Amino acid sequence: MPNNVTSPLSIEYAQIKRKRLALLLAMLVAMITSLMLDISTGPANIGFFELLQGLVDPDSLEMRYRIILWDVRLPDALIAISVGAALGLAGAETQTVLNNPLASPYTLGVSALAALGASLAIVIHPSIPELSDRVVLPMMALMFALLGGFLILAFTRMTDGSREHVILFGIALVFFANAMTAGLQYVASAEAVQEIVFWTIGNLTKAGWPEFFVVTLAFLIVFPFSLRHVWAMTLIRAGESHAVSSGLNVRRMRTWVILRISVLAAFAVCFVGTIGFIGLVGPHIARLLLGEDHRFLIPGSVLCGALLLSTASVLSKALLPGVIIPVGIVTAMIGVPVFLVLIIQQRHRL
Amino acid sequence: MSVLAIKDLNLSFGRKQVLFDISLPDLRSGDMVGLIGPNGAGKSTLLQALAGHLRYEGEVRVFGSSATQLSAARHREYMAFMPQSLIQKSSLLPYELLWSALRSTASISSQTDAEQRIDSLLETLGLSAVANQPLYTLSGGKRQLVGLALSLVRQPRLLLLDEPTSALDLHWRLIVLDYLKQEARQQRGAVILALHDLDLALSHCDRLVLMNQGRIVAAGVPREVLTQAHLARVYHVDANLVDTHSGDTLLHIKKALDT
Repeated sequence: MPNNVTSPLSIEYAQIKRKRLALLLAMLVAMITSLMLDISTGPANIGFFELLQGLVDPDSLEMRYRIILWDVRLPDALIAISVGAALGLAGAETQTVLNNPLASPYTLGVSALAALGASLAIVIHPSIPELSDRVVLPMMALMFALLGGFLILAFTRMTDGSREHVILFGIALVFFANAMTAGLQYVASAEAVQEIVFWTIGNLTKAGWPEFFVVTLAFLIVFPFSLRHVWAMTLIRAGESHAVSSGLNVRRMRTWVILRISVLAAFAVCFVGTIGFIGLVGPHIARLLLGEDHRFLIPGSVLCGALLLSTASVLSKALLPGVIIPVGIVTAMIGVPVFLVLIIQQRHRL
Repeated sequence: MSVLAIKDLNLSFGRKQVLFDISLPDLRSGDMVGLIGPNGAGKSTLLQALAGHLRYEGEVRVFGSSATQLSAARHREYMAFMPQSLIQKSSLLPYELLWSALRSTASISSQTDAEQRIDSLLETLGLSAVANQPLYTLSGGKRQLVGLALSLVRQPRLLLLDEPTSALDLHWRLIVLDYLKQEARQQRGAVILALHDLDLALSHCDRLVLMNQGRIVAAGVPREVLTQAHLARVYHVDANLVDTHSGDTLLHIKKALDT
C-alpha cells in the first residue's frame, strides 16, 4: 500500500490499517504476557522476579530452580508458542485455500497419519529399545504426517485439484488412519494403548530445546512463503471463480499451500501430539478482529494460535494445583465454547 | 484492428459436445457484442472457453495471436472474464480486494496511478460509500458491481462478461453498459457480454450473437438478429421490433408461444 495516501478512500483505509496494526501489537503483547505467565506457573514455587532475574542471569538461581526454569519451563513455554504459531498459520491458510471456515490443518488427515505413525512407534517400541522415545516416536509421526501431505498432493495432481476433491480425500485419509490406529490399539498391550491415547490428546511437557528448535525452524522456513502469497490469498476470498477470472492460477496456489500446511502440521504435532482446536479457532479469532486481508490475517493467526496454546499451557498447570493436565484437554475445553460462540456470532459471514 | 477472431470452435464435456462450430466475424476495436439466447444455449460456456478456462478445439485469436499460445502474463494483460456468480460474502473490504487483485495479478508502475484508478472505478460504479464496508454487508447488486470492478481494475482490452447486470436495477444497468461501451472505445478493445435482457441488448450492443443449444442461430446487427422468426424459434415468444415515430426501435413482446 502506498505511503503517500492522498484520496479520501485511501485515508479511510489507512485508518483501518492503523487499527489493525494496533490490534496485532496488542496480540503480540498478550502473547508475551502469556509466555511470561507460562514460565512462572508450575508446581515448584519460584518467585516471579526471581525467575525474571534467572532469565537474564541463570547463575543467580539455585541449581534446582535453574534446571526447572531453563530445562523444563522455558522449552515447554516456548514450544507452546511455536506449535501454536505453526497451527495458527496452517489453519488460516487451510481455511482460505479450501474456502471453508470450518477447515483446520487436521482436515487434510495429516495429523491422523501422524497419530498412526506415533501409535506404530509405541507398539513396536520394545523391539528397538536402544532408540529413545524422543527420536523414534516423533520421527515416525513426522514421516507419516509428511506421507499424508504427499498423498494429498499426489491426489490433487491426479484429479482436477478442486477444493471439494481435496476435502473429500482428506476425510478419507482421516478415516483410514483412524481405522489403522484403532486396529493397532486392538492388538496392543494395555500400557501401549494408554500411551497412544496420551499422545493423541496432546502434551507439551515432553518437549525440550531440540524439539523447540526443530518446530521453530520449520515455521521460520514456511512463514516467508506464506507472506509472499498474502495478496493472492486475499484475492481468493472473493470466491474461487473470481480469483481465477482475475488471472490467478488457483490450482497451483492450492498445491503450494497444501505443501506448506502439511509441513507445518507435521512438525507441529510430531513432538507434542495432535493438539486440537488451535488451528481452527486461532484463525477465526484473527479474522474476527482483523478482517480478511491476509497481510494482517496471516500474522494475526500466527499470534492468536501462539497466544491460545500458551494460555492453554498456563491453564493446564494452574487449574488443578500440583497437577499438569495434558494441554490437548484444555485446548478442547476452552476451544469448544469459544468456537461455538464464534459460529453464532459469525453466522452471517460464513 | 482485430481484437478477437473465433473460427470453428467446438467444445465437449467428456463425450457430450456442448458447443458446435462456433465462428464469428472479427471483433474490432470499440465493438460491444451481446451474446443472447435462452438458458442452456451455451453463452457462459463460450465465454469461459474464450477466457481460457475450458479446453476447446478450433482457433481463437486475440489481437492477432493464438489464444492458447499466449503467456499467462499476456493473457492477463489482454483480457478479463467476469463470471456469472456474485463475489462471495466475507469480511473482505472492496477497496482491499481491488488492491489485492492489482498486486497479485498486475504490475503496478505507479502507486498513485493505481490508487487513482481504483478510486475512479469505485466512484463510477457507485461503490465509494461502501468501499471500506465488509462484503457480507453489501446487497447482491453492489456485490455484482464489485465483481465488475474486479474485472475492470487491470484495464484489460478484451472484456468477457457473463450476465454483468443481472442483479442491478435499471439505473445501474444503463450506467454500467454505457461505461463499458466507453471503456471499449478508450482502451481500443472490445466487450462481449452475455445478456438475458433483450431490450438492453438492442439498445447498447453494436452486434448480437443469438445462440441456441450450443450453436449460433444468427449473428449481426440487432435488427437482423431480433427478427420475429428467430425470437419465435429460439425463445418461443411472439415478439417483433417496432420503429417509433421518434426514430427509436423497441422490442414489442406479445405473448409466450407453445413449445
